Amino acid sequence: MDLLSDQGLRLDGRRPDELRNIRCKMGVFNQADGSAYLEQGNTKVLATVYGPHQPRGQARNRAPHDEAFVNCQYSMAVFSTGERKNRPRGDRKSQEMSIHLRQALVSAIRTELYPRSQLDIFVEVLQADGGNYCACVNAATLALVDAGVGMREYAVACSASLANGEIPLVDISHLEESTGGPNLTVASLPISGQVALMEMSQRFHSDHLPKVLERALEGCKDIHRILDDTVRKHVEETGRASGWGQVDRAGIVL
Amino acid sequence: MLTTKTFLKKTKRGNILKIVREHYLRDDIWCGSVLCKTCSMKEREKTLEKDLDHSSSLFSFPHYLVLDTNIVLDQIDVLEENSFENVIILQTVLEEVKHRSSPVYRRLKDIISNPDRKFYVFVNEHHKDTYVERKAGESVNDRNDRAIRVATAWYASHLAPSQPKGKNKHVSIVLLTDDAANRQKAKDEGLISCSVHDYVSSLENAPALLDKLSKRNFVLEGNSKEPLFPLHLSPKEIQDGIKAGKLLQGTFLASRENFLEGSVNVEGYEKFILVQGHAGLNRAVDGDTVALELLPESEWVAPSDIVLEDAEEDPGDILDDEAKMEKEKQKAKKVEREPTGKVVGIIRRKWRQYCGILQPSQDKNSIRHLFMPAERKISKIRIETRQAETLKSQRIIVAIDSWPRTSRYPLGHFVRALGNIGDKNTENEVLLLEHDVPHSKFSEQVLSFLPKLPWVITDADLERRVDLRNITICSVDPPGCTDIDDALHCRELENGNYEVGVHIADVSHFIRPGNALDKEAALRATTVYLVDKRIDMVPELLSSNLCSLRGNEERFAFSCIWELTKDATIVNTKFHKSVICSKAALTYGEAQARIDDKTLNDDVVKSLRGLNSLAKILKKRRIENGALVLASPEIRFQVDSETHDPIEVVAKKMLETNSMVEEFMLLANISVAQKIVEEFPECAMLRRHPQPPPTNFEPLVKAGHLQGFEINVESGKDLAESLDKAVKSDNPYFNTMLRIMATRCMMQAVYFASGMLQKDEFFHYGLACPIYTHFTSPIRRYADIIVHRLLAACIGADSTYPELLDKRKSHSLCHNLNYRNRMAQYAGRASVNLHTHLFFRNRVQDEQGYVLYVRKNALQILIPKYGLEGTLYLAPPKGQIAKVNFTYNEEEQSQSHGSIKFRVFDPVTVQLSLDRRNVQHEKLMLLLVKPEIPEFSVPSQAGSQQVEAMDVDEVKDVAPPPKRQKKSK
Amino acid sequence: MVKSTSYLFFFISFGNFLSVYFIFQNDLRNDGRSKQDYRPIELELDIVTHANGSARVRLANTDILVGVKTEIDVPTSNRPEEGKIEFFVDCSANATPEFEGKGGQDLATEIGNYLGSSFASPLSFDLKPLCILKGVQCWKLYVDILILECGGNLFDAVSLAVKAALYNTMVPRVETVAMDGGNVDLQLSGDPFDCWRLDITNIPCLVTLTKIGEHLIVDPTAEEEECSMASLVVAVTESGRINSLCKTSVGSLHPQTLTDALKVGVEVGVGLNKALNEALGREEKRLQSNKPERFGFLK
Repeated sequence: MDLLSDQGLRLDGRRPDELRNIRCKMGVFNQADGSAYLEQGNTKVLATVYGPHQPRGQARNRAPHDEAFVNCQYSMAVFSTGERKNRPRGDRKSQEMSIHLRQALVSAIRTELYPRSQLDIFVEVLQADGGNYCACVNAATLALVDAGVGMREYAVACSASLANGEIPLVDISHLEESTGGPNLTVASLPISGQVALMEMSQRFHSDHLPKVLERALEGCKDIHRILDDTVRKHVEETGRASGWGQVDRAGIVL
Repeated sequence: MLTTKTFLKKTKRGNILKIVREHYLRDDIWCGSVLCKTCSMKEREKTLEKDLDHSSSLFSFPHYLVLDTNIVLDQIDVLEENSFENVIILQTVLEEVKHRSSPVYRRLKDIISNPDRKFYVFVNEHHKDTYVERKAGESVNDRNDRAIRVATAWYASHLAPSQPKGKNKHVSIVLLTDDAANRQKAKDEGLISCSVHDYVSSLENAPALLDKLSKRNFVLEGNSKEPLFPLHLSPKEIQDGIKAGKLLQGTFLASRENFLEGSVNVEGYEKFILVQGHAGLNRAVDGDTVALELLPESEWVAPSDIVLEDAEEDPGDILDDEAKMEKEKQKAKKVEREPTGKVVGIIRRKWRQYCGILQPSQDKNSIRHLFMPAERKISKIRIETRQAETLKSQRIIVAIDSWPRTSRYPLGHFVRALGNIGDKNTENEVLLLEHDVPHSKFSEQVLSFLPKLPWVITDADLERRVDLRNITICSVDPPGCTDIDDALHCRELENGNYEVGVHIADVSHFIRPGNALDKEAALRATTVYLVDKRIDMVPELLSSNLCSLRGNEERFAFSCIWELTKDATIVNTKFHKSVICSKAALTYGEAQARIDDKTLNDDVVKSLRGLNSLAKILKKRRIENGALVLASPEIRFQVDSETHDPIEVVAKKMLETNSMVEEFMLLANISVAQKIVEEFPECAMLRRHPQPPPTNFEPLVKAGHLQGFEINVESGKDLAESLDKAVKSDNPYFNTMLRIMATRCMMQAVYFASGMLQKDEFFHYGLACPIYTHFTSPIRRYADIIVHRLLAACIGADSTYPELLDKRKSHSLCHNLNYRNRMAQYAGRASVNLHTHLFFRNRVQDEQGYVLYVRKNALQILIPKYGLEGTLYLAPPKGQIAKVNFTYNEEEQSQSHGSIKFRVFDPVTVQLSLDRRNVQHEKLMLLLVKPEIPEFSVPSQAGSQQVEAMDVDEVKDVAPPPKRQKKSK
Repeated sequence: MVKSTSYLFFFISFGNFLSVYFIFQNDLRNDGRSKQDYRPIELELDIVTHANGSARVRLANTDILVGVKTEIDVPTSNRPEEGKIEFFVDCSANATPEFEGKGGQDLATEIGNYLGSSFASPLSFDLKPLCILKGVQCWKLYVDILILECGGNLFDAVSLAVKAALYNTMVPRVETVAMDGGNVDLQLSGDPFDCWRLDITNIPCLVTLTKIGEHLIVDPTAEEEECSMASLVVAVTESGRINSLCKTSVGSLHPQTLTDALKVGVEVGVGLNKALNEALGREEKRLQSNKPERFGFLK
């Protein structure tokens, strides 16, 4: 199966540089300090943030005295995949994902603002259709913003692949992942252009790396724009009572 | 816009999954017409023209065509004609074709990629206005038909605002479909639609096109006739039957001798299952995968040993010739009976296009004719043509379309004419087609991937390659060789060791994985050498120019460099891509002359001498290890350069330089094989030559034994030694013939992916080495290109791609390579045969020969002069009474008559002539001259000496020269 | 924000106890409901497209997502003519950090077990239609419940979501083809719409009756649960039959209270079933309309 047709369309009808449809919402739950829901095509994830609060359990001993302890948990609903999973978390893959998630998010969170405290970030994959990690990072970023946690900038993740050995594709769906071809996942801080995490699967020649990486970073920037819009709209709506949305819209600089 | 596609899938483990996929609908898919004023496509995307002059009498207005899937699948032959232009191919159709038939899909893609044909692919499945969702209860086919109609309607309404009113100017959309229901629905929806037959008939050059029309959907006159054949089961019934074990699945193999008999090769059954009679065969054609029902044991029969040819005249649609076989059946003894079955359904047709001739017809005005395929295993085919008069003297190609129950013969259509019967070019074409050798011109799309001329080496290229231009490199090849894919160098190092380099044309630099050029090369797999023709695997620009390591030209190479001690032990091996400039392109003869000329002492000669001395040591060591030498001084087995795959026996002079080049090619191949398997243990492409099972050697051992020699076949080494010892002073040809026999006992050497076999199975028997591959001829073998890519990936010079690392993909690629290699060999042999026939067409000649095998009713004679083998029949053809009777002694392998006894290896003189009674199958006829047997032998050809003398020149012209013009290192 | 957890707990319990006590005087709870009122319930079907059936129920702050997946299995030897159903509850850490890792397992097991027992009888859910070929192959329904937020009254919310998800479940229609050795092979029709639905008529809804002081209330909030003395969970079908019964949480009940509770339970349960059925009908109609919008968590 070709990842890219002669007419330049991918298996699902996207062009190589197009992201899947992204829809998201902040503040989906009331009890958590911050929460967000994000759909990237058919990949759907929920993220919640609790804290910063006093370290609990084991974290009490582990928590550093000069910055916050960030705790991440990646979990997948057992019905999220094509074939049912046996357990939602605790397996190797989930643990690895939790670690990677933490890696990417810690680089964005200003942990030094919250010494001796803990920050819990929980993500739940409700539906998995490729790019699970990316969707989780993006959702967690929104949840962190919702919780009002101080961040340097958004942590945004995106994947990329290579079709026909030359054309880089952005935002890889499950079908594209399983059809083969290399797969590069990047978590970045798009404004400063820094890479917070990079992971590759399949053999992949270093010659192709620059263009695939570039495509992935390009994707991160696009996603960043979408997330930023969401945040602005959310703030506008929640803050409407005080009328600041209108003021802003009218272009009056306060 | 977004929608999702949902479907259910069964997994391998038997689970049923619900799969949901996203499906994006777009608003930026353009219609591709120059007319359109609304789409914002680029200039080059505008495929469909404005000014149309369709010559159809049915539609007097300009129009674009939309094709239904069935038209593409059934009528690809017609579509390839230039009469069809400005055609819209919908993605729905493209995908369906891809799914249903990959050969048709490839041909369609070729048409689409030809800009002159104005075929535009409209991605209707992703267009927001033309995507249709499957409704509940609607079959996939119905949905696709609906999608096609929706797209047709869309085009009509989309183009309407962009063009002036008035029917004669207005470009309309015509939907071609052979599905009557679809046509009706289209009419109901107000679309213009017609069948392909109606459309083609309305075109100007209709007669020529009509012939090419597939007859699949034709209703023959007299359809109400009684069906002649039993009904085929439905696919579902077959599937259920096979699952329940009531039916068997296998490949149908037709008999060459008897058109009413065949066998089915069922997996898991030791013996082939016999099928007989019209009803038993039930319209199966050679190669088809069929569903078979085994008959109860009481109905089993023995294979008939009569030769039954189909009636000369077209008897119409009746089946009456079974009676002839009935009688035979009764006689069969119980013991001879074999498992017998009957074909109840066809699982997969393996119809291809067949070469053959028209059967002469009585009725000159009839348009229905019978076609006789050259392959005797294929039934005659009924076709309709209006050009019978011109076609009757030509070889033509015909495709089968269908085989309805009411028809005695399959129905087909004329595809094209190859040329006059007997013409050399025509016959070449036939043998290429019959051996499935892809030999069409390279398509535009393929050629588009060639480097642009003038080709220059850039600094960026030099940066990535080792510059070896100042090193004295030269190539040694047979005379006239234009595709030079290897060059060598050798120089002494300061520490007294030698540095030896083998430089192979860097074809993988030019052929990038996955593009059309690569796919074409992978399909062709090998360059095919015919006696008078070479069918290239890659376009000539590469094979004879950019990749050919010509003298004094800068070329890219893939170098394998060793440091060898004086006694040819490898100290280290390096691989790298390089730029070289060969100082001299020599022939074997020239190189030999330079080595021998003591007065010369330049760098090239020094290099050659160094190589030569090392090669001798290498060769000695190899033979000590047990490598087989299947060659002898005056006649040698033509052996493929690296593999030692025995191919053919040709008179040929071997020079030291031949073996010099050969040794280093072997060394390079072995070194590369070790390297790639180390790096890619799962997916390295290697070549192995399995040890033949001992039973294979039985005829050789027996023949040797009768002559008093013990042939030890325990191992390759034992065999080599015992062959060396088997020399007879009174028959100098004896040893050669033994070696010929030994060659016939060998297995085929094959390519394989390393991950598919155990390590000890990698062994190459002929070369006696544990691991081997092909690296040194990438211009003419695709396997070498893959090996180049693997090696390049090993050393970081190039990148990998998924298919390269997928052992299953490699495995199926190997499958094709092996098949094409085998076919190329057969085609080569057939070409030699063809030329031998051409040579003997007008002459009768006496020649010295030797008995190679003794058969029950014939002697197999080898004629060394032409390296050919023929059958000398001792029993007369059926129906005639033998005047002379021979006694066959199976033990002794002899035939005797009176005092004259023929045994294996005995010399005889035979008269050669061409039997031309059968136009399609000319064959060489052998008659005995000496020893004389009254009433059997023929008198010696008077003045044959003179004829022979005169022939010499002509032999050069047409007689079989060495089969491969290419080098035979 | 950073307060000692135990202190916080105490404060809430105490405050609620008082308010509950006072407000019950007027037969109203502190959120204004009467004793037998439910909080508003939101329902959406078919929101996990990967699953064969799914539903999300939001009961005030209690958020439950249920996905039903069908798999081919072999019937158990003692019930060769029946398919299987399995409940799996996952308490997501999204609900509370206490569920992180294996933190929610006890609660999950309790809910799962109780659901299992309320489905155990063929009178509540008939497993026979799930059998494909007697003793050889059957469908197994995996009912996977994901608890995303806890705002009290988990049992009721879970049971509503389960019933809704089963209502939404499409089981593919398969045909069996016998093979050698008694094995069967399954054949799918190519039509993705060729499915059948489960009969949910007798599936019970769970009604939790909580005793606070002298009062029996339904649909307790998290705060009300904190100050309850004991709870009783009753599985009630559409027709008012009680399929199972279970007393949860610490504390004890007087037999008389129990009898009273059952009466209230049946009454509330029948009403709940009816309301659910109506909601399902409306939702089904919405989904069958052209291009229904899926809200999911975006609402």
